[in-house]
Amino acid sequence: MVGFILKRLVQSVFVMLAVAFLAFSLFKFVGDPISQMTGVETSLEDQARLREELGLNDPFFVQFARFTAEMLRGDFGYSFRTREPIGQMLLSRLPATLELGTVALLISLIVGIPAGVFTALRPRGLVSQSILIGTLIGVSIPTFVIGILLIFLFGVQLGWLPTFGRGGTVQIGWWRSSLFTTDGWRSLVLPALTLGLFQLTLTMRLVRAQMMEVMRTDHIRFAIARGVPWRSIRYRHALSNTMIPVITIIGLQFGGVIAFSIVTESVFQWPGMGLLFLESIRFVDIPVMSVYLVVIAFFFVVINLLVDLLYVAIDPRLRVRESV
Amino acid sequence: MFRNTLPAAALVLGTTLLSSLPVNAETFRWAGTTDPQTMDPHAVNAAPVTSFLNNVYEGLVRRGPDMAEEPSLATSWEALPDGAGWRFNLREGVTFHDGAAFNADDVIFSYERAASEASDVRSWFASVTEVVRVDDYTVDFLTSAPNPLFPGSIANFMILDQGWAEANGAELPARDAENHATRNANGTGPFVLASRDPGIETRLVPNEAWWDEAEHNVTEAIWTPIGNPATGLAALLSGEIDFISPIPLQDVEQVETRDGFKVLAGLETRVIMLGFGHDHETLKYSDETTEANPFLDPRVRLAVAQAIDVDTIDRVIMRGAAEPASQLLPAGLSGYSDEYDARPSFDPDAARALLAEAGYPEGFSFGLMCPNDRYINDEAVCRAVASMLARIGVTANVNAMPVRGYWDELRADNFDMYLLGWSPGTFDAEHPIRFLAHTPNDRLGTWNFGGYSSARIDELLEPIQQEIDPDARQGMLDEVAGILQDDVAYVPLYTEPLIWAMKDSVDVVQRPDNFFMLRWVTVN
Repeated sequence: MVGFILKRLVQSVFVMLAVAFLAFSLFKFVGDPISQMTGVETSLEDQARLREELGLNDPFFVQFARFTAEMLRGDFGYSFRTREPIGQMLLSRLPATLELGTVALLISLIVGIPAGVFTALRPRGLVSQSILIGTLIGVSIPTFVIGILLIFLFGVQLGWLPTFGRGGTVQIGWWRSSLFTTDGWRSLVLPALTLGLFQLTLTMRLVRAQMMEVMRTDHIRFAIARGVPWRSIRYRHALSNTMIPVITIIGLQFGGVIAFSIVTESVFQWPGMGLLFLESIRFVDIPVMSVYLVVIAFFFVVINLLVDLLYVAIDPRLRVRESV
Repeated sequence: MFRNTLPAAALVLGTTLLSSLPVNAETFRWAGTTDPQTMDPHAVNAAPVTSFLNNVYEGLVRRGPDMAEEPSLATSWEALPDGAGWRFNLREGVTFHDGAAFNADDVIFSYERAASEASDVRSWFASVTEVVRVDDYTVDFLTSAPNPLFPGSIANFMILDQGWAEANGAELPARDAENHATRNANGTGPFVLASRDPGIETRLVPNEAWWDEAEHNVTEAIWTPIGNPATGLAALLSGEIDFISPIPLQDVEQVETRDGFKVLAGLETRVIMLGFGHDHETLKYSDETTEANPFLDPRVRLAVAQAIDVDTIDRVIMRGAAEPASQLLPAGLSGYSDEYDARPSFDPDAARALLAEAGYPEGFSFGLMCPNDRYINDEAVCRAVASMLARIGVTANVNAMPVRGYWDELRADNFDMYLLGWSPGTFDAEHPIRFLAHTPNDRLGTWNFGGYSSARIDELLEPIQQEIDPDARQGMLDEVAGILQDDVAYVPLYTEPLIWAMKDSVDVVQRPDNFFMLRWVTVN
């Protein structure tokens, strides 16, 4: 088991290196950081000097090697735009993104799993059909449109919820949380719904398809024949078998939720890492963009690893195979 | 304060008596698209930073609501004999926010800091050879040549406290890593930086010890950057913020028709224009004309100018909020040439005749470079220009891109024609000549991407910078404006509008440089 985890961690280093390399090689197409860092009146001499000082004239591989070496030493460097240390910048934005992603995921699970089971058990019912169609519409509208619609409905027309930002936050050590105030929760509702809607649909449809398939398998038929109560068949035997692939997909999707919260964060001016990334693109803040992408790659790797471990915990067959 | 000691009396007296006094002090929340990237006034010479910090820091000279220069930390200034420079008489009794006294040492320290290699504002001091401390409250700025515009050109040169900067290791502007002045501020201005959360929220409170009389009634001002225009609009309409700038032109009607909100639409000092590749031998993005550059012929450039119907662009794309422009700076600014006030007339027939005369009766095709997130509706303007040029047989292949890569492309000469906006930082006609009309070299003509070159304009720039007599100076500026118009060096299109939106209860002053000054805000 320890060997397995170690092996995965070593692999993850290579994944992150590859991501850093790809990101780095794409950045020269993003634009010129110097023209974003200086004013219009700055002379070309001063621009050239700054470019030299920041090492932007060095060959690509020299720049990449320097970036990698600093990262390995734990030095994330400084933002071109604000000159803040990047590690600190990302750390201060991390709680906002994690809280948003987690709440979005919880919404999608709490609503998605029961809805999936319900639509699987009553596939032709009117309610099931309308749920399926309704969520399909939700998925086909782009996230930013949903976000804007929600803002204008609940924020502007009804005036129930805030339109932007995190609202009241509480500082716990370095972690700034919006989960401990009503104001914070009010601010969290709309962005979490927006971000969670796609997950919700995915979870629901996945649970539904799996459940319908499991209900047709031999051991369920046998249980029915044996006269096991319907309740037990559905929620104990069928549902637990349904959950294995669902957990994999949801786990992997969590990485996606974190990475793709960019759009939601921008629509709601939610001060997370995604918003920071967008601002960094606008200002060609190459160091911040690079570190952000490497950190996101790290998230994916860790989540993958956790999913693998969870798999072993849930599926007894995997444990047996390993002990053999 | 009156409102603290006599609240009951104030209530009894009611509002009629007191309506002229700022008694209903308020928290004021405002938003814009870009967060100032630093609180250091010398680190980045960008409008979001300078505009914001003008509320916290002050210069020797400041600008009033109409952009007129007025005394700030200097009470008066006069030119030294023989054009040797300028003497500034400093205001006595001014203190920084931390209580330290302001004097000549702070000015000299700030000058050295702002003129250092790590500073992004050092171009303001290109002509300064030395700064001399005459006494505690008198400072001489010596210049290499007479510089009549100097006081106005340093209106955004902010003064830091020497003691504070040295005690906190902020002697120089942060270049690589941040320093104390990146997130903290200690100015003399009307507002004190109370808290700073970069990219999220910045709070200011009034400076109770400010030397000038406060015209505002704000007790706390909270700034939030909101990048997405639709979110910003929603935040205003839901009442969560009191003021936002800018809002998209297409949202103006929605705000105006709603109860309790208003829009303030004026003109910014930015002129939008088309530029040509004057030093390009051939077209780069033409489908058929690969051996020549038709734009080298002034008749073709004039044809372009006459083919574009600026009034229609203004009416349709800018919703009538812009104003047609004839020169590289908006009408009414210092040094604007009244003599050359007229644009080339809109006349497609004349344009076609000019093309035929120049040897292109069938027209030609070329590449028009355009930013799509820099100016108001910039890409739409380029498309409109392309369709107007199509009517005289010239095909513009529009290539629109985000501004972050745009200047790079222009510097690499990847254009046949391009769209450019220019706002003269000194609010004087000399500024665009220096940056857009002078033959490009390392320090001059740095935004003259097309390499336009006129020996006469190059020759006139220095005398224009040094001439003290206004009439003689205007004569030279008129000559330059005439040359630029005769050569059709650029095709000025229009002056860009400035759109601010706010609650009805808020009163602000809209300065044409788009600076937002809290000291003129009243909340009723």
